Amino acid sequence: MRSTLIRPIPGFVLALVVAALLSACGGSPPPQGKVYRHSIDGTPTSLDPAQSATIYSSVVVVNVFDTLYRYKYLARPYELTPNLALGLPEVSDDGLVYTFRIRDDARFTDDPAFAGGIGRAVTVHDLVYSLQRHFDPATRSRGAWLWQGRIVGMAEWAEAGADYDRPVEGLKPIDDDTLEVHLLEPFPQLTYTFATAFSALVPREAVEHHGREFAIRPVGSGPFRLTSFDSARATFEANPHFVRDPLDLAAEGFDPERHAGLGLESLDGGRYPFLDGLEIHFIEENAARWSSFARGNEVHNVMVPNEQVDRVLARRSPIRFTDEIEAKYHGMAGLEAGFVYGGFNMDDPRFGHHPDPDQDAANRAFRCAVRDAFDWQARNDTFYYGLAEVFPGVIPPVVPEFDPTLSEASITRDVEGARQRLAEYGWDEASLPTLTYGFVSAVQQRQMFEQLRAQLGDIGYPVDRLVPETFATFGDYYEAVKTLRVDLFYLAWTLDYPDAQNTLQLFYGPNASPGSNNFNYRNPEFDALYERSRTMQPGPERTALYREMNRMVIDDCVTISGLSRTRIHLWHKDAIMVPDREILAGYFMRFVDLVEPDQADG
Amino acid sequence: MNPGADAPLTADVDARTPLQDARAAFLADRWAVTGLLTVLVCFIMALGAWLGLWATGWSELGDQRWAGPSADHWLGTNLLGQDIFQRAVASTRTAFEVGVLVAVASTVLGAVLGGLAGYSAGSWIDSIILWLKGTLDAIPFYLFVAAVAFALKGNPWAMHIAMTATFWTTTGRLVRGEVLRLKNREFVEAARALGLPHRIVLFRHILPNTVPVLLVQATITFVAAIKSEVILSFLGLGIQDGVSWGLMIAESSQEVLAGHYMNFIAASGFLFVLVMGFNLFADGLQDALDPKRAVKR
Repeated sequence: MRSTLIRPIPGFVLALVVAALLSACGGSPPPQGKVYRHSIDGTPTSLDPAQSATIYSSVVVVNVFDTLYRYKYLARPYELTPNLALGLPEVSDDGLVYTFRIRDDARFTDDPAFAGGIGRAVTVHDLVYSLQRHFDPATRSRGAWLWQGRIVGMAEWAEAGADYDRPVEGLKPIDDDTLEVHLLEPFPQLTYTFATAFSALVPREAVEHHGREFAIRPVGSGPFRLTSFDSARATFEANPHFVRDPLDLAAEGFDPERHAGLGLESLDGGRYPFLDGLEIHFIEENAARWSSFARGNEVHNVMVPNEQVDRVLARRSPIRFTDEIEAKYHGMAGLEAGFVYGGFNMDDPRFGHHPDPDQDAANRAFRCAVRDAFDWQARNDTFYYGLAEVFPGVIPPVVPEFDPTLSEASITRDVEGARQRLAEYGWDEASLPTLTYGFVSAVQQRQMFEQLRAQLGDIGYPVDRLVPETFATFGDYYEAVKTLRVDLFYLAWTLDYPDAQNTLQLFYGPNASPGSNNFNYRNPEFDALYERSRTMQPGPERTALYREMNRMVIDDCVTISGLSRTRIHLWHKDAIMVPDREILAGYFMRFVDLVEPDQADG
Repeated sequence: MNPGADAPLTADVDARTPLQDARAAFLADRWAVTGLLTVLVCFIMALGAWLGLWATGWSELGDQRWAGPSADHWLGTNLLGQDIFQRAVASTRTAFEVGVLVAVASTVLGAVLGGLAGYSAGSWIDSIILWLKGTLDAIPFYLFVAAVAFALKGNPWAMHIAMTATFWTTTGRLVRGEVLRLKNREFVEAARALGLPHRIVLFRHILPNTVPVLLVQATITFVAAIKSEVILSFLGLGIQDGVSWGLMIAESSQEVLAGHYMNFIAASGFLFVLVMGFNLFADGLQDALDPKRAVKR
């Protein structure tokens, strides 16, 4: 799960309170040598893979830990490729048994948790342990939904007390490097799930040794080792134990035309990571991040502030950078693998599900009226440079199941229609419910709130009925969404894997809060289709089911959706890289190299 | 020197009550009157916004983002096309709401606790109040506000509560000193001799004599509250719903980099005028109420 605010911004309380808690790793000297400095717009709330529910956490997690699979560095659309695994899994004919083999040369970083303080070899037992942790109530996993009801014996193992010394029937290590996973039903996305940060391999010794501090003292086998972490930054040094085959640019999807002029050719055949160190700066304010980037504090910037767009872009369609920007930076733009959306908490009978069919219909009319009042074009123009792609429903353009022929009625502003809906179902100024709208206390989030409130005012919704509730951090806000403290929310979803199932599961009844279904949408017909589709291999039949589910969500006005943003990446010319913020943001960092400034100029 | 010329003047001054004397001194201070008039103009602006007479469209969206000043938008528009002048005027209401509430609450709390401490100086009551004051003073203000905001989980009054809890201590300290000075005066001893209970002595006879101190301190607290509100709103810890100069300055922090200055100019300009007006007013009031003024003169 990769929920983010559109542009989550500062948390003063976080700076004051959490910094003290997270400073336990502080004190290490800054990394020396070739150090890539990266900035991101939010602060991780935990570095434990089981808690890595935000993109900010996963950026760190995929650099510290290993996953069986990752996505090819340069290939788009995204293509899965082995990481810790040796090749793709063998799958039984009935699709119920997957056999994974992993490298025998991977080692965890040195840590006092290990005998003699020396990192030991990674085995499939670590994968078994890491999966078990998700189902241990003590872990309070945010990623268990990925494998919920999938693995034979996992539910029974959890019910029996989550004893790690007891095996799970469906997870059978053949030897240290081979694991059989037995499924309750076919799960075509299983391999994808082993590329998520949730699936990262953690060593049991380190989890038990560090206890709750494991969330800020992660020990993994990834390309980097965390040396310090606080609310402002995380620093890393290269993991000397990390061994992978040399970089094969062609296999990673290198396109001489698309990637011309970036210097990537020099990396071909090299051993990664190429860096000596890595710094990730957490700068939530767009303007501050831009300013820091322009001063050279960071190498890379994504999400150019609205105020700077005219300085950055000479043309918007197709995108062309200004001469000033082209002279100073490398740049790239592309549609995100995800989308932003608004959502209702359907658990609230004032406007959500209601046992009385008449009231249920009236509630639906209210939600649809709010959706009709929402002006996506204005949202796009105001906050996304007018470059985003607005689309109906919850299947974003980046996945193959996207339906370009779908009616755009749900994303077209219709003030008169909204008023009629309200009048038809007896909603008037006295009866319209008060909605609590939550957001992170930050300038852009507040502006988004004000824009929404004014748009709702156009359909006769009293402005004082949309009540803002602000939160210091994205973590606080997300917690409030999970605990149903806000009625209306605005979030972003970055795909965990390029399959529309990853967004449709957001509406699956059994995934209701605290699961990934923040809407708490419960529609038996939807759930039946979802359950039917989830064992199906990709193909026209499954796509048809996906699109049918998409239509249900639109018809029920559960969500105000959606918009996929165009990401504008800029990076200094001394960096050889192709940055990415999608799917598993952060994987690209192992392939980053830096050159001397004079070489970059040349 | 002409003693004959001085005599009638002295007689005239002596005929005025202290209040009349202070009023005359205040009106004779040109800067203080300017300050008072500035505050009055701002107050009328705030009152009109509060009554819905003007600045009612501060949250309405417009078609033109970052428009320059014009007849339609005197100070231009912001990113959402909202009228900056209306937002600045509506923020005056926010400033007065916060300023008045915090000033009144802090002054009352400071007077009561400071009075109790001073009247019972040396006792356990005094010790507890002094300990509480010292503890609150020892906590950095913004850290304290952040902690209160966190503890109250988004309560819209968190900022007011935090400010009041912090600002009363200065008032309390001043009142304690005044009460210590007054409690051995003859009129207090006379009240005690009549057998009046302590609470009557304190609240009817002593505290009314600290009013000049309270008045001056209230104006200072008012200004401090307004400034703090702006800073807290800028940091995202202040106003939850509505508009404030702090929020406008926070917006402008992103806009000035691209050459859009009106949000910043409007918010900081209004803030400057009100704070300056109040400072001039407070200084004049302090001088006018200063009992040593007559001696100096």
